[in-house]
Amino acid sequence: MSTSDDDDTRTYAVVLNDEEQYSIWPGDKDIPAGWRAEGTRGAKADCLAHIDEVWTDMRPLSLRRKMAADAEAAS
Amino acid sequence: MGTADDGTVTTVYDRFADIARTTPEATAVVFGDERLSYGDLSARADEIAGHLAAEGVRAGDLVGVLLDRSAHLIASLLAVLRVRAAYVALDPRDPPERIAALLADAGVRVALTERAHRDLVGGDVIALLAPELDSAPTGDLPVRQGDPADLAYLAYTSGSTGTPKGVCVPHRAIVRLVLGQELVAARRTDVFLQYAPVAFDASTLEIWGPLLNGGTLVVAPPGELGPAELVELVRRERVTVLWLTAGLFHQVVDEGLTDLPALRRLIAGGDVLSAAHVDRAVAALPDCVVVNGYGPTENTTFTCWHPVRAPLAGRDVPIGLPVNGTEVYLLDDDLRPVADGTVGTLHAAGAGLARGYLNRPSLTAQRFLPNPFATSRGALMYDTGDLARWHDGVLEFVGRADGQVKVRGYRVEPGEVEAALRGLADVRNAVVVAQDHSVGGRRLAAFYESEFAIPSSELRRSLSATLPGYLVPATFTWLESLPLTAVGKADRAALAARRNRQRPDIGSDYRAPTTRLESWLAGLWQEVMEIDPVGVDDDFFELGGHSLLATRVTSEIASEFDVFVRARTFYENPTIAELAVQVAALADAPAADVEEARA
Repeated sequence: MSTSDDDDTRTYAVVLNDEEQYSIWPGDKDIPAGWRAEGTRGAKADCLAHIDEVWTDMRPLSLRRKMAADAEAAS
Repeated sequence: MGTADDGTVTTVYDRFADIARTTPEATAVVFGDERLSYGDLSARADEIAGHLAAEGVRAGDLVGVLLDRSAHLIASLLAVLRVRAAYVALDPRDPPERIAALLADAGVRVALTERAHRDLVGGDVIALLAPELDSAPTGDLPVRQGDPADLAYLAYTSGSTGTPKGVCVPHRAIVRLVLGQELVAARRTDVFLQYAPVAFDASTLEIWGPLLNGGTLVVAPPGELGPAELVELVRRERVTVLWLTAGLFHQVVDEGLTDLPALRRLIAGGDVLSAAHVDRAVAALPDCVVVNGYGPTENTTFTCWHPVRAPLAGRDVPIGLPVNGTEVYLLDDDLRPVADGTVGTLHAAGAGLARGYLNRPSLTAQRFLPNPFATSRGALMYDTGDLARWHDGVLEFVGRADGQVKVRGYRVEPGEVEAALRGLADVRNAVVVAQDHSVGGRRLAAFYESEFAIPSSELRRSLSATLPGYLVPATFTWLESLPLTAVGKADRAALAARRNRQRPDIGSDYRAPTTRLESWLAGLWQEVMEIDPVGVDDDFFELGGHSLLATRVTSEIASEFDVFVRARTFYENPTIAELAVQVAALADAPAADVEEARA
């Protein structure tokens, strides 16, 4: 979304997919398939600030699980 | 697409290992007189990998690589992937402070380097000297196959808030770039040249294009090569696939693309190409396909490509169509597709997508968005910030949606340079804009507010301690206050139009030329640098010169005096007084005689 943040007054929703990857999506549009609303809505900057807090492990979920399993097998 | 011959998606290392097993005798790497077969390279990578494992490097770790171009560099990258880690290749020519900051940002614990760059690896980071690692028994190597979703490398790009951001690229994205890709269609008989800095993703195609297809990688000697030296290398090594950034491509075309019968594909990109140069390349290389390659680092080297099959005759060079394994969408501000011919923001999707920016959740979420056009669930698309439109069935690049600019093929966020300037003592505020010049293309011009004018040489030195060369502005202009627009923001358009031709305040006092050769050189520098006057003791690089401008100077010297000043000679003799001595010596005559010959 290339509109500069200063000019963007729309409401956004924090969304995430099954891999627990986070993003933002315009609040008035249908959320694409495979994504769900996380619950947080508001100005773009607020949604992004929330994502900085909650998205602490940025690896896709399936990879996190696989690496954990590999680490366990190796030890 | 993006798959091995049997249809399974693989990783970079596993694909390489397959080739090393089936054709161990084939030549993998050529570096000067050194030749490594696939078997040799695989064994060398295993040796280095053993030492990485012994230092505790595990799957998913990030390993620093600080090496000049050599066969060791290529073996080191493979070794990192061999232990299922990812490489963070940095440019050893960057300031030590920046290198330390990037190693820290990536959380690097072990780095592969060499004696000459040993001091760049400090603090708690373990430095392994790659060229000196032997085959002594070391740590165990992983036996399992890797996952295409594993990280392969981290590439830093300029960040608008002042901090570079690390783009996380998975194996899948590289494999999609080099296997089953019409853009390159690499095969065993191909010879690629490695010249791009490994810190940048142009090198991804150069290195993995041949090595994942059984071809040969010719590694250029370390350091900067002029266009003539580059063309000579391509000719001598019978390079078949060459990928050049826009500025270098223009220079190589100017130099002349004669006698290159082996070259079958010439890819240029990274910035807008001049249609005239593309036409000249097409005419000079009848057996070679000339391709415009377009794409941001976040979608792994190439997103679109356009083979130029007929003269463009003044039309802009299109960026063409998406590469295999990639989809693109042109969207309006409400994320709806725009009509044909209408300008939209280019969004990219598919197997080439990076995972995001390392440890930057909000930056990632802002640019990597849910993809409403995908057939698979939960898919992403990347907002490139590039504006484009469809025209006659192909895409045309129009410009940027934000302030990002390209300088000498490098992606630059002026905000990063401005933040560095504001961080200096005495600088109150700063604006950095790009200015187009007839010679050498786009340059950064800095305008800063402070109580008093600060010598340009001092600002250049301070910024050079933290920023790579391409982020250091060519000119610094002091203003008591920056011009503002009606709404109170810095008036960038006004500053972009403002040219500063004054000789900057640098370390040397002005000294006028005394010989005719010096006068001729001073005239040339003034024209090339757009600075008036230039003194004979002025350092070319302190005046804001860079490699592309240096090449322009040496090629003018060549056509005037029929002598060839090597890039290295120029860097070691960066003043007019010193350069005049070199030119005279090369002409094998006293300076006075050179002048007579001209007269």
